[in-house]
Amino acid sequence: MTSFKLLSCVKCLAVAAGVAVVAGVGFIYSGYYPMGADEPHNDLTHWALETLRERSIARASNDILVPTDLNSSERLLAGGADYNDMCAACHLKPGVTQSDFTLGLYPEPANLSQIETLKNDAERLARQRFWIIKHGIKASGMPAWGPGHDDERIWSMVAFLQRLPELSPQQYQILTARSVDDAGHH
Amino acid sequence: MKRQSLAYFFTLSALLLALSAQAHEPKEHMNEAPDCAAMKDMDHSKMDMKDPVMQAIMQRCMKAMHLDAEDSHEADAENGNHENKTDAKKPTNHQH
Repeated sequence: MTSFKLLSCVKCLAVAAGVAVVAGVGFIYSGYYPMGADEPHNDLTHWALETLRERSIARASNDILVPTDLNSSERLLAGGADYNDMCAACHLKPGVTQSDFTLGLYPEPANLSQIETLKNDAERLARQRFWIIKHGIKASGMPAWGPGHDDERIWSMVAFLQRLPELSPQQYQILTARSVDDAGHH
Repeated sequence: MKRQSLAYFFTLSALLLALSAQAHEPKEHMNEAPDCAAMKDMDHSKMDMKDPVMQAIMQRCMKAMHLDAEDSHEADAENGNHENKTDAKKPTNHQH
């Protein structure tokens, strides 16, 4: 009697799972999900995608070794110029609160000139930032810079990001201006 | 279907064009001079010279100032030479 009940329950669950899968696939094919960047995800989708992204980046970046010289002036100068050229349009800079990209992209790019780095999490944050810059994030507008930029160059950008929230607009301008040597003029 | 393929083709072309415009080498980027004049207005007594940010700023501005000085020396030298040349070309008024 008990085994019969258990069997019917398993059957019931299998049928429910099948119906859910068919309904899900049907919804995907229906085209009713709004894909415009100007309409936010619903709470469930938002939570699922955020969690998927955060957990994936945390796992993938877990074993990355952080260089010991991140807090050097050479790194700041090298990373600053690249940040200004490649990142500032979306992730902003001191004295700028929005751009066309921050208004239009979804999810909205983080304002990296305002985020304060937690001292205890600095190393974990550095690992994750390195991974994100190198590999990018799917369907977010964040490109993978790895194919065109070596690891040293990416670490210099990470080094610059650590100090970015403390910079004034004047300091930012000086640090991100390319030196004559960088520009290939001698 | 053809229209869709064309749309994909143009999107891909535009994307490739945009990517090709992205510079990968530092020398391909625009060279914007550091505005070191802004440093003069800062309170130097509050600056921590051991801070890598300050060291980087000093490094960049010293280099820029050094290059400016070299340029002005070169310009002076050129002006000097030019003046000398024009002087040399001038007929001497005092012929003995």
